[in-house]
Amino acid sequence: MTADRRRVNGPPSGTRPAVFTADLQSGASATDRAQRQRQPSELRKIFLKTGLIPTASGSSYLEFEPSASLAAARANPKSLIPPSSALKLACTVHGPKPLPRSAAFSPNIVLTTHVKYAPFAARQRKGHIRDSGERDLGVHLETALRGAIIAERWPKSGLDITVTILEAEDDRWWGSAPDSHDASWGMMNVLAGCITAASAAIVDAHIDCLDLVAGGVAALVADESGNSATGTTKLMLDTDPAEHRSILSACVVGYMPARDEITELWLKGDSSKASLEEGDDRSGHDALIDGAVDAARGAHTVLAEAVRESLLRNVGQP
Amino acid sequence: MSEEAKLSHTLVVSDLSAKQRMWGPRSTKNRESFFHDAAGPYASPSSLRTTSKTDTRSPSRQSNSGQRKPTTWLSFPLEFSFSTTMVGPTASLSNLSRADGSASFKCPTTGYKILGSVNAPVELPGRRDALKPEEATVEVFIKPGNTTAGVGERYAEGIIRTMLQKLILGRERGFPRRGVVITLAIVGGGAIARGDSYLTLLPSLLHTSLLALLSGAVPMSMTYSAALMAVSKSNVIVSNPTLVEAKAASSLHVLAFSSKGHLLLNESQGRFDFDTWKTVQQRAHALCRGVELPEVDGDIAMEAQGDSGTAEGFVRETVEDHLCRDYAWKINTE
Amino acid sequence: MATSAAAPASSSRPALSLPPSQFARLQPHAYLLAHLSPPSTNNQPSIRANGRAPTQFRVTSANAGSLTHTNGSAVVRIGDTAAVCGVRAELLHTEDIASWSVSQATSSNKSPRSADQTEELGEQDDNETIERERAHIEDLNLLVPNLSLSTGCAPGFIPGSAPSSLAQSLSHQILSLLHSTRLVRADDLRIWYQPPSMGPEELERHNDEEQMDVDTAQNDPVEESPREIKAFWVLYIDIMIISLAGNAFDAAWAAVLAALRDTKLPKAWWDVDNETVVCSDSISDARKLSLRGLPVASSFAVFEADAAAGWRAAVIPEAAEMKAQRLARKGGVSERWLLADPDGYEEGLTQERACVVVDKDTDGKVIILKMEKNGGWTIDTEDLQQLVDLSSQRWEEMKRILDEC
Repeated sequence: MTADRRRVNGPPSGTRPAVFTADLQSGASATDRAQRQRQPSELRKIFLKTGLIPTASGSSYLEFEPSASLAAARANPKSLIPPSSALKLACTVHGPKPLPRSAAFSPNIVLTTHVKYAPFAARQRKGHIRDSGERDLGVHLETALRGAIIAERWPKSGLDITVTILEAEDDRWWGSAPDSHDASWGMMNVLAGCITAASAAIVDAHIDCLDLVAGGVAALVADESGNSATGTTKLMLDTDPAEHRSILSACVVGYMPARDEITELWLKGDSSKASLEEGDDRSGHDALIDGAVDAARGAHTVLAEAVRESLLRNVGQP
Repeated sequence: MSEEAKLSHTLVVSDLSAKQRMWGPRSTKNRESFFHDAAGPYASPSSLRTTSKTDTRSPSRQSNSGQRKPTTWLSFPLEFSFSTTMVGPTASLSNLSRADGSASFKCPTTGYKILGSVNAPVELPGRRDALKPEEATVEVFIKPGNTTAGVGERYAEGIIRTMLQKLILGRERGFPRRGVVITLAIVGGGAIARGDSYLTLLPSLLHTSLLALLSGAVPMSMTYSAALMAVSKSNVIVSNPTLVEAKAASSLHVLAFSSKGHLLLNESQGRFDFDTWKTVQQRAHALCRGVELPEVDGDIAMEAQGDSGTAEGFVRETVEDHLCRDYAWKINTE
Repeated sequence: MATSAAAPASSSRPALSLPPSQFARLQPHAYLLAHLSPPSTNNQPSIRANGRAPTQFRVTSANAGSLTHTNGSAVVRIGDTAAVCGVRAELLHTEDIASWSVSQATSSNKSPRSADQTEELGEQDDNETIERERAHIEDLNLLVPNLSLSTGCAPGFIPGSAPSSLAQSLSHQILSLLHSTRLVRADDLRIWYQPPSMGPEELERHNDEEQMDVDTAQNDPVEESPREIKAFWVLYIDIMIISLAGNAFDAAWAAVLAALRDTKLPKAWWDVDNETVVCSDSISDARKLSLRGLPVASSFAVFEADAAAGWRAAVIPEAAEMKAQRLARKGGVSERWLLADPDGYEEGLTQERACVVVDKDTDGKVIILKMEKNGGWTIDTEDLQQLVDLSSQRWEEMKRILDEC
C-alpha cells in the first residue's frame, strides 16, 4: 500500500496490534464472559443531547449506557481488555444550503449522509478512508431518513448529515473465535443509534419532518439457559453482541411511531428455523420485526424528550 | 495544473529570453511597479537606482555579493559565531519564459536550491467558489524535488501564503476575483524528513517567492528579507546555520523583516527563553537589514553595514542587476 | 412570540435599525470594533463581542479516559471548540524494520540502564541520548498523529473527502511539536529482551553489535549477553475535531497532551517460543507514559481597527515610526487589539496570528518551546513579551485543568 501523502503515516512496514496472553489461552474462562443482566425486553438507557455543536445547523450526541460487565470493569479496573463497549456517536446536520454549482437541478432537498468511525472506535484500528461497512451504514441511514423529511419544501438545496462514531459496539465477545453465526452484528446497533441521533439533529436544525424516526434493534439469540440440544431461541431487544454466545438473526428498523410506518428495515441472519417460546406462533422474522419496533418505540421516548429540550432552548432565539 | 506544466516545460530556458520579453507591452508597463516602497509607487524605470551602475556587470558578481564583514558585538550577553562558509546566496530572475515571473535561489549554507514561478493575476476557474470578490486569492504550492507534496508542504505553504496575503496588494486593478499562484519547486538540497519543522528551508522559500513576485511585477506594499538563526546547546547564536548545525541546535528561529523594519514573521522552536529570542531577533535584523535594532533602552543604533552584506541588499542587487540587463538599451543611449 | 414582542419596540426606532445579531452578520468588522472601543463617555472597559476581555481565554474543560478501545483518550472543550483524542498503541517488531540491523550497527548502543540514569538526572541529557531518541522516535515514525476535520465540525469541510489543507497542516504542526518538545520518551516505547546465556554460535551473530557497544565492552560478554530491542510501541494519536469554533490548534494540542497523560501501555515482552511480542492484560502491570514536561499552547489574533490600512496606504510607516505613534497614543484609543484564544467569528476578521507554546521547569522558570507570529506587521517585540507572559498564566490554568481530569 502506498503511503497517503495527505496524512501523517506510521512505519512503512506496518504495525501489529498488541497480542495479550489472555488471547493466546484458548477458551478463556466462562466466568469472565460478559453476561446480559437485563430482561429480554429491557432496553439500555440512552443519553441523547442536542445542540452541542453550535457551528452546525443541528447536532446531537448519543451515548448508550455501558452494559453491566463494562460498568463493573470501569468501576474496578483489572484488565486492559474491555469486556464490551458502549456506543458513542456525534451527529451534525449542515443545511439546508445551496447545492454546489455543478449539481443538477433537484426539486427536492438532496440528502447526503456520511458515517465514519474514528480510527480508535473499534477493537481493530479503523482506516482513515471509509470502508465498505461505513458506506453501507451511510446508505442505510439515508434510506431511513429520506422518507421522514418533507423534501419538497427545499428545492435546489442540500442537507449534509455526518455521523462520527467515537466508540462502536463489538460484533461478538472478544474472547470467542469467529464462527459461522458471525456477522457484523455490532453494525446494526450502530445503525439504530445513527438513526435516532440523526433525527434529533434534523429536528434541531428545524427541518420539517413527518415524524421522528427512531431506530431499534432486536435479535434472535440461542437460549443459553436451556440445555436442550436443539436449542430454543429467544427474542431479545437491544442486544449487545458481546453479551451473547450466538446470535442467529438480528433486525434493525427505522420506525415512525405516530404513523406506525417503517422507513428502514435491515434483517441479517437466518430467522426461518427459529422456534420461539411456547404459545408464540409468529414466524421468526415477524417476531424480529415486532421486537425491533418495540425497541424503536422505547428509543422514541428518549428522542421526544431530546427534541423537547432542543425546542425549549431555541424558543428564545430568532 | 497549468502553472506546473509551465514550470516543467520551461526549465531549460535561459536568462536570455528576458531580452525578448522586454519588448512585450505587458512587461514594460508593469515593471514600473517594482519596489513600491523603494522609489515611490509607479516610479519611472530610470528613477530606480540604476544610474550609478554600468552595464559591464556580469552575472558572476552575484556570487560574491552576499559577503559580509564579521563584526564584533560587544553589547550582547551571548557569544556569537559565524558560519565558516562566507559565500553568499545566488539568485537569478526570470528563468522561465512562460511564467509571469520566476526566480531561482540557492542558499549556500543549507544547500537548498529553489525554483519559483509566479502567475498573477490569473483566472482560477476551478476555484470559483473560493475566490474573493474584493481581493486576489494567493495560492502557494511547494513541490519537493524527490517526492510528491505531503502534510509538511501544506504547513509551509500555509505560512508563506499567510505572510504574502498581507503584503501583496490584492485589491489593485485586475487582481480581485483572480489568483496569485506561486509555485516553488525544491530542485536541489537534502530531503526533508517526516515531521521536520521546515524552518531550514523557509528563508530560501521566502526569498524565492519575493524574487519571483518582483520578477512578475506583482504589486506589493513592502518587500522583505528573512534569516535562519540557530542557538546551539552552549547558547551560541549561529546565523545562517548549516543543516548539521541546525539539527544539533537547541532552538531554531526563522525571522522575516519588512523593508521598513516590521517583524513580519517569526517561527521559533526548540527550548529557549525570551531574552535569548530578543538577542536572536536583533542579530537577525542586522543580518537582514544591516541596521542594528536599538537596544531595549533605546540608545545604541549601529551604523548600517551597507546594502551588500544584508539579505535585503542581496534582493535589491539581484533585481537591480536584472533591470540593468533589461534596460541596457536605454541606459546605453542616455 | 418573538415577533409580536419586538413589534412595539421597533416602531419607536428608526426604520433601518438592526438587532445586534443581524448587525453582527452584516458588518462583522464594525460590530467587533464597536465592542472593543466603547465610546469614551461611558467608562466601559473594552470587551469582545463574545463578552470576554481581550486577553481572556474561553472556559476550558478536559475529561480523560472515557473511550473504551484506546490506550488513552481525552475530550477537551475550549468554549465551543471540542476535540476528542484517542491514543492507540500497536507494535512494530524490529524484524519488520528493513534498515534495523544497519542502523543498529551504526548508532551507538549504550546499555539502557545508563540511559535511564541520565534521564533521571533531569533534562541534562547528553547529545548521544538525544540523538538516539531522535533516531528511534523520528526515524522509525513511532508517533503518528492525525487530525480530522471531516466530522461535520463546521460548514465548509466536506465529510468523506481528503483532509483539507488546514487539517493536514494541523497534523503536521502536532507531529512537529511532539518531536521538537521530545514529549514522549523513546525508552517508554522500547521493548527489550534479555537473552539467556547463549551458545557460541549465537554469540557470534551478536558479536559485531557488541563491539560497537561502549558501555558493555568491559563486561564479560559470556556472562551477560546484551539486551536487545525486540519491538517498539507505535502510538497512533488520532484527533477528531467534533466542533470547530476557532482556535483548533490549542484544543487539539490540549487533547493530545491529556490523552498522552492518560495513556497506559501494557507490559510487553518477547516470547521466545512464539517468536512474537506478547502483552499482559493486567492493569497493575501496565505503565503510564512518563512525559517530558507539560507544553501548553496559547493562540492569539490581532484585530485591527482599520482592516484596510494594509492595502489602502500606499506607503506604510516605518516600524520605528509606528511604534512612536503607538506610544504617543497610549492611554487613548487603541488601533489594534491582541485577542487571546480567538473564536470562529474573530478568526474570520483577523489576519495576524501568534501562537506560543510554553512550559515551566520545576523552579517555575518559563521555557518557550515554540513561538510563531505571522500574517501582519503590528506585533513587535514588546507584544510578544506580553504574549509570553499571558501564555505562562494560561499554563497555570491548563495545568490545573489537566491535573484534575
